[in-house]
Amino acid sequence: MLRSIFTKTLWDQRRSFLWWAIGLSALSLYTAGLYPSIATPEFTSYVNQLPTALTALFGESFSLATAEGYLNAYFFDLMGPILFVIYGIAAGSGAIAGEEERGTLDVLLANPLERWLVVVHKFVAMVVGMFILAFFLWASLAVTVVLVNLDIDYSRLAQACLSGALLGIAFGALALALGCLRGSRGFSIGGAAAVTLIAYVVKTYAPLVEAMKPYEKLSPFYYANAAKPLINGINVEHAAVLIGLTIILLLASVVAFQRRDVAV
Amino acid sequence: MANNSVIQTDRLTKFYGKQRGIVDLSMEVRRGEVFGYLGPNGAGKTTTIRLLLDFIRPTRGHAAVFGLDTTAHSVAIHKRIGYVPGELSLYDNMTGAQYLRYMASLRGGVEWKSVDTLAQRLAADLTRPLRGLSHGNKRKLVLIQAFMARPDLIMLDEPSSGLDPLIQQEFYRLVAEAKANGQTVFLSSHILPEVERVCDRVGIIREGRLMAVEEIPALKARALRRLEIHFAAPVPKEAFANLAGVRDVLIENSILRCTAVGSLDAVIKAAARFEVVNVVSHEPSLEEIFLTFYGGGENNAA
Repeated sequence: MLRSIFTKTLWDQRRSFLWWAIGLSALSLYTAGLYPSIATPEFTSYVNQLPTALTALFGESFSLATAEGYLNAYFFDLMGPILFVIYGIAAGSGAIAGEEERGTLDVLLANPLERWLVVVHKFVAMVVGMFILAFFLWASLAVTVVLVNLDIDYSRLAQACLSGALLGIAFGALALALGCLRGSRGFSIGGAAAVTLIAYVVKTYAPLVEAMKPYEKLSPFYYANAAKPLINGINVEHAAVLIGLTIILLLASVVAFQRRDVAV
Repeated sequence: MANNSVIQTDRLTKFYGKQRGIVDLSMEVRRGEVFGYLGPNGAGKTTTIRLLLDFIRPTRGHAAVFGLDTTAHSVAIHKRIGYVPGELSLYDNMTGAQYLRYMASLRGGVEWKSVDTLAQRLAADLTRPLRGLSHGNKRKLVLIQAFMARPDLIMLDEPSSGLDPLIQQEFYRLVAEAKANGQTVFLSSHILPEVERVCDRVGIIREGRLMAVEEIPALKARALRRLEIHFAAPVPKEAFANLAGVRDVLIENSILRCTAVGSLDAVIKAAARFEVVNVVSHEPSLEEIFLTFYGGGENNAA
């Protein structure tokens, strides 16, 4: 595992992956397992009485009529993407800025390696880590679906997980780029978290507020779940937007890091 | 550029914003020599090394290692350099063996036998996690890392700090062997005796500027020592007047205090005529040496 920066970065997270697996399983059980007990006429009519501004905060639509509608609104509209974004920002900010702050970047860069290659190794580790989480999520949801006997397509479920992972990767690339620019973990996490918050608010309120409507598509969150991949399958164009954004941010990371002084 | 030079800098200058790093530093390190880079903390030693390794970029001037420009060919240069950082921040979650294996892989592989041999000579325990290691034990690991690939140039930033004396001797032997192998060693230090002991030549840096480059014998000839000789009975002042290379003579009853430059022969022979109880000798601080030989003070405005 200690052959390359890529594998070593994943090796560093081996315990953390275990905790993610436990957490995601518990969350899946809780979220999907809850469906049979809340898919009742009483609860539906209660939800329907809530103001739309409030329900929008929790998810795009509160359709409880179908299991996939429920899971899409309750999980893949808010919780899922946020989890992926959290991992992305943690991994992206730790990549360069994290090593720099801990002071380990000197011995790493003293090796015969191009700086861009170091960034790419860290990026690929973040992408693979994200896919590992997406797989955990998919597997634990799939098991829960069987346990509580829901009518959900495994392939669509995988596509929804993938879509969330792509969003997480885009925000991870943003954190990576900020870390490459300044070498400060706080700057990287803070900047990426601020963008996440703004993007989430825009995505949430744009459908409700007429004035914000034109800005809806500026939010990366829009491209993760607006097309409801759990119900309709992944939207290739939306996925392409997230991937394109990621590539731009990766290039920016490389350019920023290549020319900058590394802090002691 | 002469084939003989391993490091060459030309008016190399680095400012961190307004803060001075190094200023107009021009020097040459020759193939196969052990070059000492001597200066007090904050003089710019680490800045120079980090410029040569391309961690930071010059504000002005340029530097070449193996005849290659440091900013354009850092990978080719790193291939032939072993580096010991001054700051010992390593990967805390690894053991020594894991750390060295990782570093060896990133260099494209190292004969593990040489790691084992070095670990044995420096008495390094490779099985323990880096988290709990003392400064000295971490220092051993980076020394192994720098020497294990038998690089053409070994760059050591304050390499012996934290090592216990026995290990320090072994480290000096490693440097001597590297020199015998034809490897070049660049060693930064703020300890004059260490530099005198292992180096062939020394560059003296103060407040970001290179004050002088000296051969070690020349430096030793001008070595400054504070001497205190305790006698059994009071001694006459005249016996120690006008001795060659002896200054600042001060006699209080049976104690003589003076400053000796270079050889101690004259003062010792003069003292031998009386009954000597004790001799105490102090190495002067770097700052004193600078003041004496290089007229410090004028360059304060950096």
